[in-house]
Amino acid sequence: MRIASASLAVLVLTLASHANAEDALHWSGFALLRASNGIDTPVLREKNLSAQLHLGVDWSPSPFLAAHVHLLARSDDANARRGHFGVVEAYLEARNQHVRVRGGAFFLPSSRENVDALWETAYTITPSALNSWLGEELRPIGIDASYTRGGLTAGATIFRGNDTLGAIPVERGWSMRDHWITLGEWIPVDAEYDTSASAENDHRAGWSARGAWTGANALVQLTHVDNRGDGLPYGRLFNWGTRFEIVSGEYSKGDWTFAAESGWGPSYLIVFGTKYTTDIRASYALASRRFPRFRATLRADEFKAMTRGRALTFAFLWTPPGHLRPGFEATTSGGEQRVIVELRYSFSGR
Amino acid sequence: MTRTLPLLLLLFAPLARAATLSVTVRDARGGAVTDAVVYAVPEGRELPLAKKTAVMDQKNRMFVPHVLPVQTGTAVRFPNSDDIRHQVYSFSSAKQFQIPLYKGTPANPVVFDRAGVVTLGCSIHDRMTAYVVVVDTPYFATTDKKGRGALASLGAGKYSLRVWYPEMTSEPAPVPLTLAASDDKELVVTVRK
Repeated sequence: MRIASASLAVLVLTLASHANAEDALHWSGFALLRASNGIDTPVLREKNLSAQLHLGVDWSPSPFLAAHVHLLARSDDANARRGHFGVVEAYLEARNQHVRVRGGAFFLPSSRENVDALWETAYTITPSALNSWLGEELRPIGIDASYTRGGLTAGATIFRGNDTLGAIPVERGWSMRDHWITLGEWIPVDAEYDTSASAENDHRAGWSARGAWTGANALVQLTHVDNRGDGLPYGRLFNWGTRFEIVSGEYSKGDWTFAAESGWGPSYLIVFGTKYTTDIRASYALASRRFPRFRATLRADEFKAMTRGRALTFAFLWTPPGHLRPGFEATTSGGEQRVIVELRYSFSGR
Repeated sequence: MTRTLPLLLLLFAPLARAATLSVTVRDARGGAVTDAVVYAVPEGRELPLAKKTAVMDQKNRMFVPHVLPVQTGTAVRFPNSDDIRHQVYSFSSAKQFQIPLYKGTPANPVVFDRAGVVTLGCSIHDRMTAYVVVVDTPYFATTDKKGRGALASLGAGKYSLRVWYPEMTSEPAPVPLTLAASDDKELVVTVRK
């Protein structure tokens, strides 16, 4: 076993789907279920077959130092600019027994669902509304440091970019899909404006802090995020000032896993000198059981911004030995349904 | 059969005469210390390196067991019983290694050929931590919820009884022991925690 190591993770997702949805809930793009907020919201392309390719490269000259790059290519860009191919994460990490410091672009370590490498969810095909949003609109670009001792973890992040965080739930509406935004990508939120994790218009650093307790089978975490956006427009990018709290918990016993997250907070923008604030909120709870050759998960979602919605998702993932994982997922929300069949190929090795 | 039985009794007779040692580890307030490793190091006797194997599993994003004591020279396998990937590493001076991102069981075990405490982590899951406690003796045990551990099959002679536990800040003073072949002793060790 060498001290230095390099590894490669490849993930190929192909997905076919069918939805019975009208008006408020639109079927579109890559596994999309969303609550529309009005006639100005862009009509996303209707497609019932799509594919993604993820490539993760890890290199570690010693256990104390690591580098990670996560690249993504997808057939459906959801009408985004530079949405077909890009960098999802790229960071350097230094660590010892208690301290970890990470610098670059990375996912905020808050999700209880996206626990696999490459931020994949272990339980369903599409993540909850909360983590769909965080994956699609939040990508801290900065420095994260954490300290862990005796089951307690404290961490903090200072980041640039993410000035438009909040535009998706308020302007476009909540969705349930796995469209991880890439660096430099612009995703439309209505006819006039886009959102981008790389947007740094006001030159004010955002920050996040978290504390977690880990027991033998359980974990509880509190996370605070503040992008310190100034709420002003900059061309097609409208800054949103978003402060968000996330409380999450997880309990595992035997083959069962129970996880829940709830996030809430105000998001504001300023139009002609007037400040408009919207409270955004999203929660989910899931129960998942692993069997020798498959996993079954039931998840309940609730989400609110300009509109309020609930969803119930059932996922059945077949997990035979090897690299292929066929999966089935059914979601119902407000009397409308969506069914997804996915074939996932994953490979990791040197 | 009538010939085999006396032969078997003769063969296992030395085992029957081996000493046993029950150790209870308590903190200063009398509470049980779980997951402590108690081990008896023979004095004045060099022991050969172990040719044993052990397993440190990963289930529900936890290392199982949380504390794994092994004799120096033991090869440890790191199967991943989860349906997600792990990337195991250690930067402890007793053994530095990395197992790149994987599912299933890596082909090669990790041989722990130097005594000391090896702290394990996973690059993907910060919450995952565990310890491989490598000791220069085959006589060791991990304490249970009552703080008890049992050492069996000790030969007669002098030993130094040592204790290690997670988050230990200073090593408790070793307890000198002299055991006779038929001893069945019980000890209580109090540690600062």
